[in-house]
Amino acid sequence: MARKLVSGNQAAGHTLAVAGEANREARGCICGAYPITPQTEIIEFLRAYEFTKGRVVPVESEHSAMAVCMGGSLAGARSVTASSSNGLAYMTENVFAAGYYRLPIVMIAVNRTLGPPWNIWVDQGDSLMLRDAPWLQFYTESHQDLVDTILLAFRVAEDPRILLPAMVAMDGFVTSHTQMGVDLPEQELVDRFLPHCIVPHRLRSDHPTTIGGLTWPKETEHHRIEIQRAMERVPEVLAEAISEFEEIFGRRPHGLLSAEHTEDADVILVASNSMARTLRGVVESRREAGEKIGMIKAKTFRPFPREAFESAVGKTAKVGVLDRNHSPGSGGIFWQEIVTSLRNQPDTMVQDYLVGLGGGDVTPEILHEIVDDLISRSKSVEPVWKEVASR
Amino acid sequence: MNVVPLNMNANCDTTCDPVLRAGNTNCAGCGMSIGLQWFSEVFRDSKPILAIPACCGIVTAGAFPTSAYSVPIAATTFASAAAVATGLRSVALMNTEENVTVCWAGDGGTYDIGLATLSAAAERNEDIIYICYDNEIYGNTGGQRSSATPEGVVTSTTTSGKSERKKDIMAIMAAHHIPYAATLSVAHREDFIRKLEIAKKTKGFRFLLMLSPCPTGWKSEPEDGVDLIRYAVRCGLFPLYEVYDGDRYRINVERDQTSIEEYITRQRRYTKGSILAEELTQLIDARWQKLKRIVRAFPADDNKV
Amino acid sequence: MTEVTICGRGGQGGVTLAKLIATSYFLQGKDVQAFGVYAAERSGAPLQAFVRIDDEEITNHNQIKCPDHVIVLDRTLISPGIAVGAKSSGWIVLNTPQAPEDFAELFPGRQVATVDATSLAVSHKLGTRSVPIVNTTMLGAIGEVFGITLEEIEASLAELRFGEPNVTSARQAFQQVRKVKLSGHVTEIPTPQVRQKIAGLLDEDQGLPPKIKTGSWATQQPERRQLTPPCNDGCPAGNDVRAFVEAVGKKNYSRALEILLETSPLPGVCGRVCPAPCMEACNRSELDESVNIRDLERYAAEHGEWPVATTPWRSERIAVIGSGPAGLSAAYQLAKQGYRVTIFEAGKQLGGVMRTGIPAYRLPPDILDYEISHILDHGVEAITGCKIDRKKLLELSHEFAALFVGTGLQNIRTADLGTEANDAVQEGIEFLDRARLGEERCDDERVIVVGGGNTAMDASRTAQRLGAKSVRVIYRRTRDDMPAISEEIAEALEEGVIIEELVSPIRITPMGSGVGLLCQRMRLGEPDESGRPRPIPETTDDAFFEMPCDRVILALGQSHDLSILPEGAELKDGDTLVGLFGAPIFSGGDFAGNDGTVSAAIGSGHKAALHIHQTLSGDTGTPSTTNPVAEPNVIHMNLFNCSVQAKPVEIPMNKRRSSFAETKLGLRDLPGVSQAAMEAQRCFNCGTCNSCNRCMDYCPEGIVYKEGGEYRFDYSYCKGCGLCSTQCPRGVIYMSEL
Repeated sequence: MARKLVSGNQAAGHTLAVAGEANREARGCICGAYPITPQTEIIEFLRAYEFTKGRVVPVESEHSAMAVCMGGSLAGARSVTASSSNGLAYMTENVFAAGYYRLPIVMIAVNRTLGPPWNIWVDQGDSLMLRDAPWLQFYTESHQDLVDTILLAFRVAEDPRILLPAMVAMDGFVTSHTQMGVDLPEQELVDRFLPHCIVPHRLRSDHPTTIGGLTWPKETEHHRIEIQRAMERVPEVLAEAISEFEEIFGRRPHGLLSAEHTEDADVILVASNSMARTLRGVVESRREAGEKIGMIKAKTFRPFPREAFESAVGKTAKVGVLDRNHSPGSGGIFWQEIVTSLRNQPDTMVQDYLVGLGGGDVTPEILHEIVDDLISRSKSVEPVWKEVASR
Repeated sequence: MNVVPLNMNANCDTTCDPVLRAGNTNCAGCGMSIGLQWFSEVFRDSKPILAIPACCGIVTAGAFPTSAYSVPIAATTFASAAAVATGLRSVALMNTEENVTVCWAGDGGTYDIGLATLSAAAERNEDIIYICYDNEIYGNTGGQRSSATPEGVVTSTTTSGKSERKKDIMAIMAAHHIPYAATLSVAHREDFIRKLEIAKKTKGFRFLLMLSPCPTGWKSEPEDGVDLIRYAVRCGLFPLYEVYDGDRYRINVERDQTSIEEYITRQRRYTKGSILAEELTQLIDARWQKLKRIVRAFPADDNKV
Repeated sequence: MTEVTICGRGGQGGVTLAKLIATSYFLQGKDVQAFGVYAAERSGAPLQAFVRIDDEEITNHNQIKCPDHVIVLDRTLISPGIAVGAKSSGWIVLNTPQAPEDFAELFPGRQVATVDATSLAVSHKLGTRSVPIVNTTMLGAIGEVFGITLEEIEASLAELRFGEPNVTSARQAFQQVRKVKLSGHVTEIPTPQVRQKIAGLLDEDQGLPPKIKTGSWATQQPERRQLTPPCNDGCPAGNDVRAFVEAVGKKNYSRALEILLETSPLPGVCGRVCPAPCMEACNRSELDESVNIRDLERYAAEHGEWPVATTPWRSERIAVIGSGPAGLSAAYQLAKQGYRVTIFEAGKQLGGVMRTGIPAYRLPPDILDYEISHILDHGVEAITGCKIDRKKLLELSHEFAALFVGTGLQNIRTADLGTEANDAVQEGIEFLDRARLGEERCDDERVIVVGGGNTAMDASRTAQRLGAKSVRVIYRRTRDDMPAISEEIAEALEEGVIIEELVSPIRITPMGSGVGLLCQRMRLGEPDESGRPRPIPETTDDAFFEMPCDRVILALGQSHDLSILPEGAELKDGDTLVGLFGAPIFSGGDFAGNDGTVSAAIGSGHKAALHIHQTLSGDTGTPSTTNPVAEPNVIHMNLFNCSVQAKPVEIPMNKRRSSFAETKLGLRDLPGVSQAAMEAQRCFNCGTCNSCNRCMDYCPEGIVYKEGGEYRFDYSYCKGCGLCSTQCPRGVIYMSEL
């Protein structure tokens, strides 16, 4: 296994490419690609990649990028793309369409602040804007997590029990543009891990159907229920995929979430993406100092693993949620989901912290402050803004 | 070919069905339906796959899980037909499948919301046949103006007649240097079929614009639709011509002495005095002068085509 | 709460009716709801709309399943299904011309009201012809039934900005609605509660056609009919003109000839000399020029293969007196029926006036000879130089099973040109016959021809060819009133003949080396019994003048000589002569009063032959039904491109003056192009399906199909748009109201 020093974008590009190439003996790979900072490097990587059976279509917009993926997927190919921020916003109509079509497209979302005013730096508000779309969503903390999660995303999305598109998020610049060492998956291993992509309802001349036409309320309701059932099967399918991944690649990626030092913790902090790594360092140092601090790395956002959260938190009295996103008039989006997950645990206090929005630099010191704040609280209040950029 | 009556739905034999089967919900006398029947004659055996954006053309398919179409259809989002078709065709090509990918779109999805997507697919010279059935109105939503609505026409959003001119989509498409662009008339069957045959033989992006009579939107009698288009062609309002590679032009039917009155007096969308026949005639004259100049300057070489 | 369900079709204004009803109650202070079922159906598709009315606040928003009242806007939607779930205490209000009692079986025990809202709406021009908008009219009827006053109805209409003629239509419906409580018991049909499997997005079981029988949307349906083409209607010979032209169009010239020979043994003759009333009747002349049927007939006679003649198989012998076109036609048809026919001709050769009266430059004798020989090939005997008089006729009536008399017009109408009239005056018929035999010359003569018929034209043109210095035709009316074929007049003028209109001859006077013809000018008066203006002599001093001339040819017409018939015999075209003994005697052609054309004589002879056959065999045949003639307005002229009639090749003028060679040479083919076929393809095929396929090609639904060579319509899907009818060029398909 080759360990390389690459950017997050290059790691993602490589993984999408080998995954696409892995379908060369089936119906190939298709990508609709439109560049946007900080995702651009992924698109350039894919355009340069020489697929045995694949095409990267340089389209005129994100809306069409997803449309090309839908067309490709409707024709039975493995379909991939990547976007960010306003690109995702512009793509939104087709993001929903791809999900309702039940097409297992895999998209990289490089998190970036939505604008205008223009801001190119990290904020999860873009991918979380799509939380109500029928997509799986995974949030990754490092290059290795990113690479492994992309491969898992293909496995789960294309599984006949699921057949839903999947989005894999990483932090803009903080992950996408940072050079780090990573085990890049080799083609041969990926070929073993990923079965051929089969879109069972692809358009075929011998079985003509109209996909996406007028649908009455009773069928629409039924289709929504079908999507929910598929979402509910994700934990099981993901667990199977992780076991097989471990067999082939010799390492075990995180699944729905990663609960660390939670069993005896007095307080637990929850974070996602790169902030979860920073948090891990802080938690480890506080543990060394004898404090009963635990953490949960939130990885799978859709479906939201409520049961896993409930059991990881257990009887812990205080939970702090770090949200690098903001739903105006409400608060952090992870917080909302976690509060819902802990609805049967009235003794647990859940406090939200809005931190690092608009690309603000999140340092260990800031996280220490948050830990201290959480320990000191006896009652939760409205989400707390930890303004970091002004320091 | 319309060979068999289609009243034996239960166990239909899809190999002999026309592309648009009976039992569809298009209005009586719909021009698009005629276009689809002729499309069927030429393409039925070519395994067509259609990408249809939001428009009457997809509503007519009927409700899930049935389909009034006997070929695979992707009902795309409004602006996405040409991009979805790109994906479909790319995968077909990489798998060396012999089929034809077709976008079947109304004027809204072509002239307006889908124009960027269409332009991009044309610029990439995707191997797609794009057919716009242009009824000059947002028919699916009940008859609002589009940029294809001609000057003077009354719609629910231009209640005293549209004051702007109709967009020249053919000029736009020709400017993309696509291998083939042509206008189609449902009153000129031989010309229509011939152009579909050319489109079928040509590789790359092919754009066909069909003026589609819409009795509901045009407020005309369903039985008059084909005659209306014949008048539109004869009086010069809708020239039948074709453009090869964006720079070789040929007019297929010359205008004659038919008066625009024949066309506008049979449609209530024109009969509110919002535009006079003389004004329209002047516009037609000017357009023809321009078209004739272009054709003289850039003629299609008959031997080369 | 009162709930109302409205059943209508897309485009009929059902949702607006719901709003109108709701408005009338809303204005009374009630709480109301009006709403439709919005779906993907289009104009013409069955749709529902609903109204809720209550004194209390209405809180539910679901669709109405068990309405108090049901309203049906389209009579094609009336079925027991519309009453399913409806309360028996309410009303069913139907738009139909029928009386409410007529629905006793459909809705037993129900209260039913009916009104013919469609007729009212159409009479007030509400909506389009195919989709009349009946909502405002129905409001009037509903108001009466529901107890809404006329004032409230008008207020509701005003609120929604409906003015005249909607108000009048509603008021009339209010007055015209009929109501009745039907006897019997309400049959409660339970709503089926079958829980069907709901299809999943990924299910295999997809893509079957929708089971929407769109035929139920139709308010009209296409039907086919056969009309008589005007050319057929106009052909005195009874030729199936359209059919032979169609065969020429398909380059099947032998078939074309075969069709012609069904009704006429003289296609080569008619193709030259017929005035072609078929062309006058031709609908194509409404668009550009008629089809050149005359030259197509000639072409078929020249290019088709003449069939082998039959030989007689019956024992009955039939005598035909006279060998003009009527006699030849009768002989030919009888021979084809198997009879043994003998022709008696007074002249030396067969052909009658066709031989003696029509110059060779119009009808070369070899053409006539060929066609006569084809007639004789059918076992017809001919005895020439045998004049039949009354006595001989009676004799023949005992020898033959039946007789046909077609001796034409033997009495020559002449004029008394005074005592000086001498050798210079000659009868036209005689002149033409002598000219034919080479017994006349007119070198350097000044010739005057008196008359305006074909004989006058033939005589004048013949005189030109015989070397006349000048030829003048004098006629007492104007050129437009001349009975001669207009083309012949035109050709005479082309060849240098001068026509003096409104001139009548008085007498011959001596003048110089020749004679003079004293003439009197005429003017036109009121029409006479012939329908033409009566010529009235001018009496002014300058009304009389003299024309110098060397020869005066009288062409004043002929009449029949009835002396051949027994006294008291009454002449009826084609029918048995009354008051005779022996075999039945029939007559025809000019002798029986026909209009003097070869084609009329052929038709007359044919008709007589049929009667003879019926009389002898007792076989009355199947009575043929005559379809209405295809008038120009049923032909969709806009479907045809204008084109020029193909004209025959003519020999140059300078060759005509001295030659009796045929002036017209018929249609000439160009290399690789059959001029005749192209000309024939100009035919509209009026009122007759020629399998052009347009009904199939232009059907938007693809539901026109061919079965056993006939086009049929799948009415279960036909939406009734009518395009097959407007795209049928020939008026075969028409729409019938449902």
